[in-house]
Amino acid sequence: MRIARETSLLFWRYSVQLLRNPVWLVVGLSTPLLYLALFTPLLRHLSGSPTLGGRSVIQEFLPGILALLAYASGSGPGFSTIFELQAGFVERLRVTPASRLSLLLGPLLSGMVAMFVFDGVLVAVGAAFGFRIHLGGLAVLAVLLGLLMCTVAAFSIAVALVTKDISSFAALINGLNLPVLLLGGVLLPVSLGPTWMRVIAHFNPLYYLVAASRTLSQGTYSGSATWQAFAVLVPLCAFTLAWATAVYRQAVA
Amino acid sequence: MDQVIAAAGLRKHFGRPGHQIEAVGGVSFEVERGEIFGFLGPNGAGKTTTLRMLTTLLPIDAGTATVAGFDVAHHSGRVRQRIGYVSQLGGADDLATGRENLMLQGRLYGGEKRAVAARVDDVLGLLDLAGFAERRVRTYSGGQRRRLDVALGVVHEPTVLFLDEPTTGLDPQNRANRWDHLRSLREQGTTVFLTTHYLEEADSLCDRVMIIDHGSIVAEGSPRELKRQVMGDSVLLEVADEPNGLARARGALEGAGFVREMATTADGLLRLYVDDGARALPEVLRRLDAIDVNVKTISLSAPSLDDVFLAKTGRSLRDGTALPAEVAA
Repeated sequence: MRIARETSLLFWRYSVQLLRNPVWLVVGLSTPLLYLALFTPLLRHLSGSPTLGGRSVIQEFLPGILALLAYASGSGPGFSTIFELQAGFVERLRVTPASRLSLLLGPLLSGMVAMFVFDGVLVAVGAAFGFRIHLGGLAVLAVLLGLLMCTVAAFSIAVALVTKDISSFAALINGLNLPVLLLGGVLLPVSLGPTWMRVIAHFNPLYYLVAASRTLSQGTYSGSATWQAFAVLVPLCAFTLAWATAVYRQAVA
Repeated sequence: MDQVIAAAGLRKHFGRPGHQIEAVGGVSFEVERGEIFGFLGPNGAGKTTTLRMLTTLLPIDAGTATVAGFDVAHHSGRVRQRIGYVSQLGGADDLATGRENLMLQGRLYGGEKRAVAARVDDVLGLLDLAGFAERRVRTYSGGQRRRLDVALGVVHEPTVLFLDEPTTGLDPQNRANRWDHLRSLREQGTTVFLTTHYLEEADSLCDRVMIIDHGSIVAEGSPRELKRQVMGDSVLLEVADEPNGLARARGALEGAGFVREMATTADGLLRLYVDDGARALPEVLRRLDAIDVNVKTISLSAPSLDDVFLAKTGRSLRDGTALPAEVAA
């Protein structure tokens, strides 16, 4: 109850900050749209080919972009945390009796709502280019996207609290980006790669989300990919949140 | 006596095992309700570290601290509810208005919306911010922003307000304003605990001062009591820039029996500590005249807290940390 109250106070604070920072909103939305606009045409000749299991490019590619957006939305709160550390805002919050979990959930949920708005725009734009909408599948997918975003956001906030400065934080996060995105099959399915690549991919949580995202976007609920994604992301999200809360509790700025 | 803060044997180390640096080495003190308590010392003396331990921001390695009736290590939530903290960084949101910042802070302490709104109006008035309440903080001047930082620290009516170097970087007028605001908080019953490296701040603002150096307390008491411990006066002397003026002046005064101690300040002045200033002054001038050293200015002053610091540590706190106004004077 107390946590819900504090979280909602902080949720509004972060949401107002986002809305008053239009540059961030424009960049946040234009990046996934650019992927869609600039990458889909490259794959045009693959449409309907056996590589994509006979499906259209946009049906295969847009779910990957949704997963990419969940991942990217997760690293945003970490960057904010770095600036808030330098501005003394983190300390201003830590000295209040507010629960450390609330301090973490406020920015996290605010970022998640922004992500869902962007997801909605992406799906609407995709639909105009032939993406077939299966509402039920997308609703289950939304839960998975939220779980991954939550995991990455908690991770990035904790890393920000530990590294404390923008250069080491950015180096770490950017260093992780490329392998995580490629081995997640965000842009192209990992199934195109050699065996070793497919094996490593199974250690990447994003891989499960992308696989589930593609299945659910087809309107298939009961695919094993969906259950696997829940089995990986639920415990991972819980663990990361607990860890990040502990870091918040001990953080020394 | 009604103690608001009681610390006993507080210790803090930093660094890896084997390469540890002792930041605070077992400090003990008490602060009574309704006083302005100053923690005076040079940069790196352990002031901020102690403050951060008392405000639950830093774990305590050894020793105990009780703040507003609760143990800091074991009841951090209850301590947080009863204290306010103003860091050197401030922490206000640039993109939010002053009022929005205060509302968020007040409500994070558990206050109901209406009660917090009323309190925010009071605090805005108390810190002369009412005219800027609806403006975004990024448009605030430096002085307005620092006043908002204090407002954020007191919006939940804490028993104790902690301030870390509250006047660093402020011009003399804003500093005087700041002191007035802190005094009016004390009049309302708030206990104020602040760190400072400004002697004048400790002297004129604080009811009681504790001097810390290298993580240990070297003196504690009211400014008046502390100064009484140091006998004698000091003579500040500026000699003309002719060849070796300063060195020759030092030479002439070195052996004089009435000079207890002599130091050259960072800005090239000679400071002498003497038992009786009125008697020493003509003797100083006579000796310098005898070796043709021209005196540009000479002044006599009663003991300051810097003299206390010098007497206890052998170093001056003033060098390099003086207020801009004081250097000019």
